Amino acid sequence: MAPLKRILLAEDSERDVELTMAALEENNLANEVVVARDGAEALDYLYNRGKFAGHANGFPVVVLLDLKMPKIDGLEVLKTMRSDPYLRHIPVVMITSSREEQDLIRSYELGVNAYVVKPVDFQKFVESVKQVGFFWAIVNEPPPGTMKRSG
Amino acid sequence: MLFRSWFFIPALLFASGLDLCAQTTREYEVKAAFLNDFAQFVEWPADAFVGVKSPIVIGILGDDPFGDSLAEIVRDENVDNRPVVIERYQRVQDIKACQILFISQSENKRLEEIFAGLKDRSILTVGDFDGFAKRGGMIRFVTEKNKIRFRINVEAAKTANLTISSKLLRLAEIITPGKD
Amino acid sequence: MLQNIPIQRKLMTVNLLTSGAVLLLTCLAFFGYEVLTFRQATVQRLFTLGKIISANSTAALAFDDRDAATEILAALKAEPHIVAAGLYGTTGKLFAQYPVNSPAAFPAAPEQDGYHFERGHLAGFQPVMQSGRRLGTLYMEYDMGAMYEQLWRRGEIAALVMVVSLLTAYLLSRTLQKQISVPILALAETAHAVSKQRDFSVRAVKFGEDELGLLTDAFNQMLAEIQKLNATLEERVRERTGQLEIANKELEAFSYSVSHDLRAPLRHVDGFVDLLRKQSAEKLDERGRRYLDIIAASARQMGTLIDDLLVFSRMSRGDLRRAKVASESLVHEVKDAMQGETNSRRIIWKIDGLPQVEADAPMLRQVWANLIGNAVKYSRTRDPAEIEIGCDTVNDEFVFFVRDNGVGFDMQYVDKLFGVFQRLHRADEFEGTGIGLANVRRIVSRHGGRTWAESNGDGGATFFFSLPKTTN
Repeated sequence: MAPLKRILLAEDSERDVELTMAALEENNLANEVVVARDGAEALDYLYNRGKFAGHANGFPVVVLLDLKMPKIDGLEVLKTMRSDPYLRHIPVVMITSSREEQDLIRSYELGVNAYVVKPVDFQKFVESVKQVGFFWAIVNEPPPGTMKRSG
Repeated sequence: MLFRSWFFIPALLFASGLDLCAQTTREYEVKAAFLNDFAQFVEWPADAFVGVKSPIVIGILGDDPFGDSLAEIVRDENVDNRPVVIERYQRVQDIKACQILFISQSENKRLEEIFAGLKDRSILTVGDFDGFAKRGGMIRFVTEKNKIRFRINVEAAKTANLTISSKLLRLAEIITPGKD
Repeated sequence: MLQNIPIQRKLMTVNLLTSGAVLLLTCLAFFGYEVLTFRQATVQRLFTLGKIISANSTAALAFDDRDAATEILAALKAEPHIVAAGLYGTTGKLFAQYPVNSPAAFPAAPEQDGYHFERGHLAGFQPVMQSGRRLGTLYMEYDMGAMYEQLWRRGEIAALVMVVSLLTAYLLSRTLQKQISVPILALAETAHAVSKQRDFSVRAVKFGEDELGLLTDAFNQMLAEIQKLNATLEERVRERTGQLEIANKELEAFSYSVSHDLRAPLRHVDGFVDLLRKQSAEKLDERGRRYLDIIAASARQMGTLIDDLLVFSRMSRGDLRRAKVASESLVHEVKDAMQGETNSRRIIWKIDGLPQVEADAPMLRQVWANLIGNAVKYSRTRDPAEIEIGCDTVNDEFVFFVRDNGVGFDMQYVDKLFGVFQRLHRADEFEGTGIGLANVRRIVSRHGGRTWAESNGDGGATFFFSLPKTTN
């Protein structure tokens, strides 16, 4: 059986996708990741429509959101998710290079679960991803209704 | 008794006469002074004097009862810077310049004659016997209460062009002709 | 002397003093003249009287008429102040006297001519002359008592007049001074109101066209000017504030974009270098690996620089949000956040006596982060490193210090320490951007404090900063 995709990564920069995936790979989480290239695709996946219509993965156990994305940005995605009763419970971690106070405030106001700043130091980034992934994907009990890991 | 009275009275008389003598001297000393003083209280007309420095002449007509006293008094005397001098006359005609004339008692009988001779002359006539002023004399010495007073015949003085000071007049008894 | 008396009283005092002085002088002058000439006048009068009497009595003296002389002397009854008079003949004997039955003793013989004052009486002799001849001497005695009394009464009247006049002067001046003082007081009050309430729209009332009117006009003109200036000033301030706000907003937008977009390529460089290293580990030789390391390090360095610059700019812009900050817990927070670097080393921490302060918490955290970070960094060469953090109270300031036993710095360059981008160590000795301390200085000075440092060369360094105890 194909492993269920339990991590939704929304990131517009290809290089950043590569780096993040490399980090996730080091932690054996890469094959559980769905990549959306912007906020619209992220919502498509969550709503099982558009590009991702008909996927059978259910809700992800965590959404890794970048802030700055074209079309629909991270904060908007978060807002949409939080106002939808079906999507409201899904844990969201903001992964972004911005440490700006207003971004932090806005994110937490909208109900983000965690906020991770992408450091320049790749090794540190890898470590952070490992911790985040480990926590949300393994340690944390997802809200009921999300698919569990099989096997 | 008789013996004592005819001795006593002359003695008395003599004594009083002695006294009288002393009194008389005293009396004429005063009158002399008065004569001298009259000069200060009488004004003569300007033509009565020859010049400014002409002396004031006090003349005695007849017997001189003053003795040395008058001479003594007028010595070194000055009235208005005029010296005072004494002249003695026996007759009216002898009188040259004279301001004050004392007419002695001895001239009693000839008084009217004298006055006539002195008419038109500014001479102060002074006497001390009865009737002197009544008969035309200007000043008459009178002895009252041991004081020598005088009676002044103002009319007579005025006729002779003499002005007698009121200061003198107030001391005197003014008489009008007819009364002595 | 008069300077600090209120103006109404001053005017009245001046008036009263002047009138009083004038009155006093006048009265004194007249009175004084009277007193001075009084005696002289009395003597003169007596002498004149004497001359009259003696002139009248010449004949009586000359002709020895006592009664007449007495009568003449009796005329002196008309002068009530003559208490005695006597005529002496040339012999020196008393010839006539007045009053006739006087109990008082007459002088036995005439003395020198002339009058003199004795025992409240004026008495003396004068000659009786007629046509240049001295006929006798007149003696007269004049009672001064009554005269003195009269003089005294005159004095009393003068005093009364003076008092009444002064009173009148007082009443008059009280009314008339209002002409001058009321406008002045009004002006003073207006000025006071303006300065107290800072209300420059008030205008002073003008009374009349004199110099005070001029002053009032000038005053009002000044007020109008101030109002205008204030208005223009406020206008200008509004403009500037507006401009500043725009500038701030632009800066904010700029740094926002910087923080995000500048970092991305750097992350990519470091990340892909790492991947490259992993992927081509066996293909690379020593030198190749070294080159990769340098590339990665450079990227990281630039990242740090950007972070520091961002912090620096943010510190310059933001408003100070003061709150009560427990320095002790803040310091411990900062220390704990550094565990990554400190866990592998032996560091002896001495943290004691840190008070509560009023400051902007995030900014103050930045200060501690920089200072403690430096202490940790520059004591890397020591084992064990000793870092002491404390606070002294000096006057009305808290003086905090961070002391380490690290490499210290050369005191010769102490002035450069807090400059932007200034470093006293080479980058290969100790990494760093040179902004940290500049940040610290910026933040501390915005709180009203000072920053300074000491070092004794290789023995370590102590960094101080002060914060005012009370803020208003």
